[in-house]
Amino acid sequence: MSSLFDRIGGQVAVDTAVEIFYRKVLSDDRINGFFDGVDMEQQVNKQKGFLTMAFGGPNNYTSKDMRDGHKHLVARGLNDSHVDAVIELLGNTLQELEVATEDIQSVADIANSVRDDILNR
Amino acid sequence: MTHIIFNDKHIDLEEQQTVLSALLEQGHQIPNSCRAGVCQTCMMQALEGNVPAKAQEGLKDTLKAQGYFLACSCMPQEPLHVRTVDVNMLRSPATVIEHELFAEGVLHLRLKPSEAFDYRAGQYITLWKDSVLGRNYSLASVVELDDSIALHIRRIPDGVISNWLHDEIKVGDTVDIQAATGNCFYLPGSPEQNMLLAGTGTGLAPLIGIARDALRQGHEGDIHLLHGARQIDDLYLHDTLMNMAQEHPQFHYHANVLQAENITPPISKNPLMQQISEVAAEPADWRFYLCGDAPIVNTMKRNLFIAGASMTNIYSDPFVSANDV
Repeated sequence: MSSLFDRIGGQVAVDTAVEIFYRKVLSDDRINGFFDGVDMEQQVNKQKGFLTMAFGGPNNYTSKDMRDGHKHLVARGLNDSHVDAVIELLGNTLQELEVATEDIQSVADIANSVRDDILNR
Repeated sequence: MTHIIFNDKHIDLEEQQTVLSALLEQGHQIPNSCRAGVCQTCMMQALEGNVPAKAQEGLKDTLKAQGYFLACSCMPQEPLHVRTVDVNMLRSPATVIEHELFAEGVLHLRLKPSEAFDYRAGQYITLWKDSVLGRNYSLASVVELDDSIALHIRRIPDGVISNWLHDEIKVGDTVDIQAATGNCFYLPGSPEQNMLLAGTGTGLAPLIGIARDALRQGHEGDIHLLHGARQIDDLYLHDTLMNMAQEHPQFHYHANVLQAENITPPISKNPLMQQISEVAAEPADWRFYLCGDAPIVNTMKRNLFIAGASMTNIYSDPFVSANDV
């Protein structure tokens, strides 16, 4: 049976999804404040990394990367509700791309698995 | 914690400290300007050790290969042996052949480089006042069309270099310039794509270069240029752009001013962002060039992306000034 990453569409799917996903993130008042003043090109690259990981693809993320990368946001109030919002937008993105419901659930599970690292607890 | 070696001396770096900050702290005179990895004024060379990739972003491959890096963006993870660059190698003299005000506070400077000076319209150069003081200015000329390079210099209150260029430099003087850099320029793929070029103030300099370059390369889609300014007097290329629009049916000029009375098209009081969304109502298919004050450029970029423009179709050059950092 093919892997989750392959079923979703691999690197091509990441490249397609990243702009749809990032556009949703920047349009969502629950979380877009965390993205004020960030370099958009760099952010797109970071989000490609995140999507690759969440789609079950090859990645080199470590728990330390996740913690270091979000520490300043936790200090600004990042909490579970914001992680929920991101996972919801990720799901909406995949629905738009007509990914199967079970696969969307698997992606949400992977994203959830790094929740404690992101929130530094 | 790690350290650098400079002039045979061992200098410790704090956690997250840049090479530039450590050297300045020790009293060394290192040329620098934006301190944001943009202007390339603080270029140095590594003799030994690993340069982090971030410190070489935007440098030409030939420079990267020789270990050149930007001291302001360099936070080494391990010891690094560095030296200042022989400035004469990177700079070349140019003669001032035109020095005239376009409008209050905006100087039109034309320079004749002493040797072949290659660039792409829309890129920027560093102009040096002396061995350590330099600033970036966007090129308003097109190398294939113009035999001199043109810069639009806005006078910055208390700006050492802009005031020097406005008040002291005159035709016949020589100034030092340094290689063109930047990624905001025209590429010939997709000639049928509509393009929107928007900028405030002297953000117009790279945009007019990019527009002329696109026309030169046979761009087929519409080219809309939007110039945002405070008042009518700040629309310093109004006549030139009106003439360009007359001459090229595909070229359209829009001017947006904050304060004005009795205005007629193409001048309007629409906010720049509103004008952009009216011109490019379906931004997903358009290509964008955004130049000028950084906060405005970044806002335009974000709004266009949210409205459906692809990041790969947005080229931007937010002007970063030393005062901002």
